[in-house]
Amino acid sequence: MAVPDDRKYSEQHEWVLVTGDEDPAVARVGITDFAQGALGDIVFVQLPAEGDEVSAGEPLGEVESTKSVSDIYAPCNGTVRAHNADLDETPELVNSDPYGDGWLVEIIVSGDVADQLGELLDADGYQDLLDRS
Amino acid sequence: MLSGGIAVPSRVSSHRREIVGPLACPDMTAQRSPLHDRHDALGAKWADFGGWRMPVEYPGTGGGVLAEHLAVRQAVGIFDVSHLGKATVSGPGAAAFLNSCLSNDLDRIGPGQAQYTLCCDDASGGVVDDLIAYLRGPDEVFLVPNAANTAEVVRRLAAAAPANIAVTQQHADFVILAVQGPRSAQVLAAVGLPADHAYMSFTETAWQSSGGGSTSVIVCRTGYTGEHGYELIAPSAMGPALWDAVLDVGAEQGLRPAGLGARDTLRTEMGYPLHGQDLSLDITPNQARLGWAVGWDKPAFWGRTALRAEKQAGVGRLLWGLRSSGRGIIRPHLPVFDEAGMVVGETTSGTFSPSLRVGIGLALLNRGTAITSGSELQVDVRGRLLAVAVTKPPFVDSHVR
Repeated sequence: MAVPDDRKYSEQHEWVLVTGDEDPAVARVGITDFAQGALGDIVFVQLPAEGDEVSAGEPLGEVESTKSVSDIYAPCNGTVRAHNADLDETPELVNSDPYGDGWLVEIIVSGDVADQLGELLDADGYQDLLDRS
Repeated sequence: MLSGGIAVPSRVSSHRREIVGPLACPDMTAQRSPLHDRHDALGAKWADFGGWRMPVEYPGTGGGVLAEHLAVRQAVGIFDVSHLGKATVSGPGAAAFLNSCLSNDLDRIGPGQAQYTLCCDDASGGVVDDLIAYLRGPDEVFLVPNAANTAEVVRRLAAAAPANIAVTQQHADFVILAVQGPRSAQVLAAVGLPADHAYMSFTETAWQSSGGGSTSVIVCRTGYTGEHGYELIAPSAMGPALWDAVLDVGAEQGLRPAGLGARDTLRTEMGYPLHGQDLSLDITPNQARLGWAVGWDKPAFWGRTALRAEKQAGVGRLLWGLRSSGRGIIRPHLPVFDEAGMVVGETTSGTFSPSLRVGIGLALLNRGTAITSGSELQVDVRGRLLAVAVTKPPFVDSHVR
């Protein structure tokens, strides 16, 4: 699966998509196709509630497969606007559509978006990371 | 992201939290199954089990733990379990000698039958290993212990054996293929192997591969999935041909290659113990509800004194099933609390049940705490309290017969 070029990526194999022109900006967060493939069948996702504060680099939730638990890290400071409630009943959406319906949370970004997300990789940079590893 | 589990490549391991034992770091010294190249060609993900590098799942085939699990419950799957140990105890009175060591009573079965049994520590009664004994005759018994415990079981037996009884380690000499599921009999018939024998019996038969090779295969009506199934034991050199033949004829029956990830979810749904988690040197057969696999009236077996004393005094803790009441997943080694917030035990296994689509697990719970089937408890899952109901396994119906 090609790495979509409409969003940014972290070295922890998460993607961040700033949706629309909202002010303050809203960042949608998910895990990459590589990440879901490495984890295997996702059977449970623990996500923060609306209104929870998150801090860049800190765990905001967990993704579980039959055998493993993995932390999901916040890519920026902000407040949770929504989590993907469809994952309550169908966590396998993270496997089948990691860049679309398998998104995890939306975060209202605190402060300057360019500052907050500036360290992330673009699609080419992320593809390089995958190619190197 | 991305911590991940047993199958995650090491390059994304920085945040990994292990759930299932020392499986994460690929051990370059690990032994390889004779079927290693077959698994590689199928795009297997790997993990180390008891010093053997074995397939966890086959995403390359469109599989994965869930699909492989359901294939075994609804159709048929084939597992390579060649990492399991193999040893032969032979010589005059070999069966009688073994019967004075292992827990179950070999006199309950005859030649051509297999038995689940335990190797207990003589002093403590704790479980060194659980294994299958294949009684070939009074002078020969074939043993299949767990991979990690084979050397210790062989060592203990060899140390106790009289001079005219040999205990021979054969770990790498054979492959073991488990063909499991409601359509397993059709697959065996199609591949030219006997399939009509009774549960826990075995037969040795000559088998010819399409390539012209011929070998002797032991076909046993055993398995660890809770489904009707067979375990095929063949010389390692013939393993690939046998694997190929089963996959070839199995396609019509919906057969999937299944990894040890699915084997774990299948056995957990049945409440079958896994040594190293639900059984160990610190856990006795009484505590694990395996008294049925102990020949209590035998004059001698390892751990007899300790186990009879424990049974008489009343066991301090018992293995129960736990079923998640919410959406969270039970994991091994988590504390279990009662309503009052008192610790009443610890989980020993835990996973997601693909059949029930909820978290299930096994836990050793203290006696004398009024815990019984239906009791509501809580498991501390990394700081969150998960409501669970106590139950007596199996979690799904057994179809082994």
